[in-house]
Amino acid sequence: MAPTATSTKWSTDFDTARRQRLFRAPPKDNTAYPSLAAAVDPHINSFNAIFGPGGQLDLGVKDIGIKTFLDGDPYATEILPRNRLQIRIQDIFLDKPALPPSNKHVLGDRRILPAECRERHCTYRGKLKARIEYRINNGDWIEHVRELGNAPIMLSSNRCHLEKMTPDELVKAKEESEELGGYFIVNGIEKLIRMLLVNRRNYPMAIKRGAFTNRGPGYTPFGIVIRSVRPDQTSQTNALHYLNDGNVNLRFSWRKAEYLVPVMMVLNALVETNDREVFEGIVGAAGSKGLEEKQFVTDRVELLLRTYKVYGLHSKAKTRAYLGEKFRVILQVPDDMSDEDAGTEFLKRIVLPHLGSPNVTEKEDADKFRMLLFMIRKLYSLVEGECAVDNPDTVQNQEVLLGGQLYGMILKEKLDEWLSSIRLPLQEWLRKHDWEPFTSQQFQNEFLGKILRRTNENIGQALEYFLSTGNLVSSTGLDLSQTAGFTVVAEKINFFRFISHFRMVHRGAFFAQLKTTAVRKLLPESWGFLDPVHTPDGGPCGLLNHLAHVCKISTHTVDVSAIPKLVAELGVSSNSSALLDQSVVVQLDGRVLGFCTPKQARVISDTLRYWKVEGTHGVPLELEIGYVPNSNGGQYPGVYMFSQQARFYRPVKYLPLGKLDYVGPFEQPFMAIACTDPEIESGYSTHVEYDPTNILSIVANQTPFSDFNQSPRNMYQCQMGKQTMGTPGTALRYRTDNKAYRIQSGQTPIVRPPLYNEYGLDNFPQGTNAVVAVISYTAYDLDDAMIINKSAHERGFGHGTIYKTKICDLEEGTRRNRSRNVTRLFGFAEGGLVKGQWRKTIDDDGFPRVGAELRNGDVLAAWTTVVLDPATGEYKNNDGVTNFFKYKEDEVAFIEEVRILGSETGNDPCQKISVKLRIPRSPVIGDKFSSRHGQKGVASQKWPAVDMPFSESGIQPDVIINPHAFPSRMTIGMFVESLAGKAGALHGIAQDSTPFRFDENNTAVDYFGHQLMKAGYAYHGSEPMYSGITGQELAADIYIGCVYYQRLRHMVNDKYQVRTTGPINQLTGQPIKGRKKGGGIRVGEMERDALLAHGTAFLLQDRLMNCSDYCKAAVCRACGSFLSTQPTVAEFDRKKRGSNVVRCRRCAVRAEAAADRSQVWADARGDRYVGGEDVAVVAVPGVLRYLDVELASMGVRLKFNVEP
Amino acid sequence: MSTYTTAGAQQQQQQQSSMAHDASSSTDERARFVEYSCGDCDAPVSLKRGEPIRCRSCGHRVLYKKRTHRMVQFEAR
Repeated sequence: MAPTATSTKWSTDFDTARRQRLFRAPPKDNTAYPSLAAAVDPHINSFNAIFGPGGQLDLGVKDIGIKTFLDGDPYATEILPRNRLQIRIQDIFLDKPALPPSNKHVLGDRRILPAECRERHCTYRGKLKARIEYRINNGDWIEHVRELGNAPIMLSSNRCHLEKMTPDELVKAKEESEELGGYFIVNGIEKLIRMLLVNRRNYPMAIKRGAFTNRGPGYTPFGIVIRSVRPDQTSQTNALHYLNDGNVNLRFSWRKAEYLVPVMMVLNALVETNDREVFEGIVGAAGSKGLEEKQFVTDRVELLLRTYKVYGLHSKAKTRAYLGEKFRVILQVPDDMSDEDAGTEFLKRIVLPHLGSPNVTEKEDADKFRMLLFMIRKLYSLVEGECAVDNPDTVQNQEVLLGGQLYGMILKEKLDEWLSSIRLPLQEWLRKHDWEPFTSQQFQNEFLGKILRRTNENIGQALEYFLSTGNLVSSTGLDLSQTAGFTVVAEKINFFRFISHFRMVHRGAFFAQLKTTAVRKLLPESWGFLDPVHTPDGGPCGLLNHLAHVCKISTHTVDVSAIPKLVAELGVSSNSSALLDQSVVVQLDGRVLGFCTPKQARVISDTLRYWKVEGTHGVPLELEIGYVPNSNGGQYPGVYMFSQQARFYRPVKYLPLGKLDYVGPFEQPFMAIACTDPEIESGYSTHVEYDPTNILSIVANQTPFSDFNQSPRNMYQCQMGKQTMGTPGTALRYRTDNKAYRIQSGQTPIVRPPLYNEYGLDNFPQGTNAVVAVISYTAYDLDDAMIINKSAHERGFGHGTIYKTKICDLEEGTRRNRSRNVTRLFGFAEGGLVKGQWRKTIDDDGFPRVGAELRNGDVLAAWTTVVLDPATGEYKNNDGVTNFFKYKEDEVAFIEEVRILGSETGNDPCQKISVKLRIPRSPVIGDKFSSRHGQKGVASQKWPAVDMPFSESGIQPDVIINPHAFPSRMTIGMFVESLAGKAGALHGIAQDSTPFRFDENNTAVDYFGHQLMKAGYAYHGSEPMYSGITGQELAADIYIGCVYYQRLRHMVNDKYQVRTTGPINQLTGQPIKGRKKGGGIRVGEMERDALLAHGTAFLLQDRLMNCSDYCKAAVCRACGSFLSTQPTVAEFDRKKRGSNVVRCRRCAVRAEAAADRSQVWADARGDRYVGGEDVAVVAVPGVLRYLDVELASMGVRLKFNVEP
Repeated sequence: MSTYTTAGAQQQQQQQSSMAHDASSSTDERARFVEYSCGDCDAPVSLKRGEPIRCRSCGHRVLYKKRTHRMVQFEAR
């Protein structure tokens, strides 16, 4: 019998047997959870798009083009013809991770799998190579392959061994059966590049920003900004600024510097044009309707044309030469390039490079010309008030910068820099070799070996640095507003946390500092793209959003070659009319296709959409057709189509065909999409949502009955779901996370949506179904505390474990020298004393024993210094001293695993071990728990089962919570879950908790109430209960049911802080801060005020003095000084010892020889004094004396009046 | 407890030295082999101090320490 394909259809059911089968025999064909894999698709696909023919880097390398260097002595008097060295990159290869050739010990499988990188705390990377070609003058291209270091590789990408592995193979490769990939492993830590929101590409946005006036006199807040994206995904922002007098300047940034150019100059340089063409392009064709109404625009265009005359540039060639002359330095073009060619280069690289780059022909220049004219048109329209500003903070005008794209951009820039950096070693070589020409044999012999080798070729290291720190080191800034914080650690605290990282989009670090909150606003445009609920509260609120679970991100360009022709057939012409209600623009990816009437525009968008869904006429389904209708001062109208990468899009049903359509955020605000079937308006609605829950993220969808809850509670649950102690994975054995949490008694929730199974969340359980009674029973549940049934605790309710990995690295701190001499080895010193205490935790080899118990101060590993004995070739210890790595934490831990780590080459002795410790954490009073409704609480008592209340059927609650938790929070969803959970447990069924399934006519309470009735329980979920202490029936019926409880990772054992005495600050004598260092908690101003107000003077004294910097100080009553008192030293005492007798040196006088011996005292130098006896010892804060000293150093004396 | 451990260690050392009685005792004491298991193929790997870390059969670079053979006893509370 042929094995049937693994089914990917899931329902709400428990499917216990099916899951068990999946665990016992992971599928050998495909994953059972394709939705889960699809969640990280944007990351993986964007990485896959980097390499290979036609990939991002291929295009990037074409954009870098040919670098030209010239020889010849720059100081030579006579000018000789100079030789040209040209160099270009042909190809970039990135190999899959493999052992280096220096490892001679492995013959078969030379792959390095990700699991090994996690275990060895190294980077999952492959060899990066470049095929370069160079030629001298016009000779033949000479090919050569250079190695550029090792570049980190994204897991499950097309450069990873895990790509296309089946669950069965993944398990054999020591991964999760549903390993998603999408992240990198850098130094054993899982890192991912988070998605960043950036401005929508190739769409000219109307912006009004006060900061624009800072550009100089005459600048107004009005501007048109376009983020023009080259095919290699690097972008160049062009902005048009409106000046007071009606002039327009083009602004751009190049290598972090800003430049402004009159837009007329750029227009004239792009094409051979004349004033009439420009005028008609901006205002509208001569003779078109309504021209006389456009007085505002005609005036300004006239001025635009007139003011440009001062430059006196009259042809395309001359204008280009003028621009070239100005910009050749910043463009770094070779010296022998003509000004006109430099001008062409300027237009190609900087002006609207999304059109045609890197091969710009006359056709593309004409496109750029028309686009610029359109932008000027929109600018004047904005100033005139004809159209509104575009909001850069809505998703409508945004797209996503994906990790792979950023990776490719950095790689391209580093390659560009590398090629340019050849200049320096070249100059150096020329200078040393007496300006030998490039044509000489010596140069050709030495170019590769000596010159190219002196450049920094380790590009892989630069990428690794980027991923490990998240810092962008860039000469161009990559057109981004931030330089740090691009990467985050993909923490595997639990699965919600982990998967959320991949669905997270950040607005940018720049916006986090912004005082205004406009960027954080939840806007209706983000419906269906960003989850409205799943954002953290506090600092990153509204800046850090999560994608709705069905929202996709495009990662490749779709084929739109048929569109221009179709549009032309539908009546688009190149001529525009003066008025917006006469003609609107039709654009495709920032290219003006033409103009048509608003009526036609509507027809075009409707027709194209029909074809797009139908799949005919070569209109791709992923195309976004943004039809902006004419309005009274609204968004600038037109049809804007987008086909490229980085767009959001989401599935909805297209009603005319009843088929799937993808909708993007640009088009969505102008479409009629019904939310549910009953809401469809005939003749108006064109689309309908597949499911209203599609707007929620994966995590927000797991909140049961979230439509019953007050919305902030759902936000809190999204936060707390990610802080739950859960099951990070099944391959825990092969992971070496710094800290991992694990719950021992995870269960599948009784109440869950079908999406729970679809995303395979049963593989990572995060809580326990608990019987919860809502009752005020013991008074230990005041203020959000909860009582746990002691028997439930003993049965393992919420029992968890923390795994910590400690790395003992002998090379840490020592500068790694090139010879790689081993100076330290694990083990005990030869012939040295070995204490029995050490041997309790360490074996003969100096490594810890697996299974041993560790307490604070116990030794973890032993090592000695060694030198190589040349006679035997063995390492010997000479000093006989054994050093230790120690366990320094307070909690008892057990050694779970010990890994002995070798090097990649397999030749080196052990320098590093990785020890995994297990810390058992059974729930204790003070640990935090929560239900799935933002109802968190702290365990306050483990109540004996005999004293717990019980129901008529003898059921005792596992957890008791206080009824006061509900009225103000209004988490009705929790009541419904309790009801549903009870009914589900009684009938043995899983309950569907998808929100928006019930309504007023058929309520959830009724549905589950009837189920309860069928099982013989009360309809309302409340039951009569009996006191566990007296056995009497309680006066009220108690609401009791089954709720899924999560244990949060905040535990008292990580938080408690207490001290009376302990470490103090050296200077002030006050307690230091910090729990880790055994410091205190500050009694601050407000705490002091409270103590004062209570009149608790003794407590105040205790806090501020006795437990802080209490000190006894001698003060002179006579002169009131702390500083002049000193202890006397008796003649025959040991020097500087001092006695108990303290005298004031200031009030004393030198003793004369004849002085009375009983009056005389001596200081440590033996000088003798008389007087200064009026000294008292007082208790003062230590800082007071310090203050006295500080003031004394500035010549200020403190005088204390001591009484009585 | 600590006295017991030292005694046990000494016993082991005595056993070792009696087994390799012909070599000089001080170097031999440390030249003991400790057995680990390979992180990839699970084969036993015995290593001496200062030897390169790799599996003899598959060349894998991560070795696991085996669980101690000594009795592990904790006070249960």
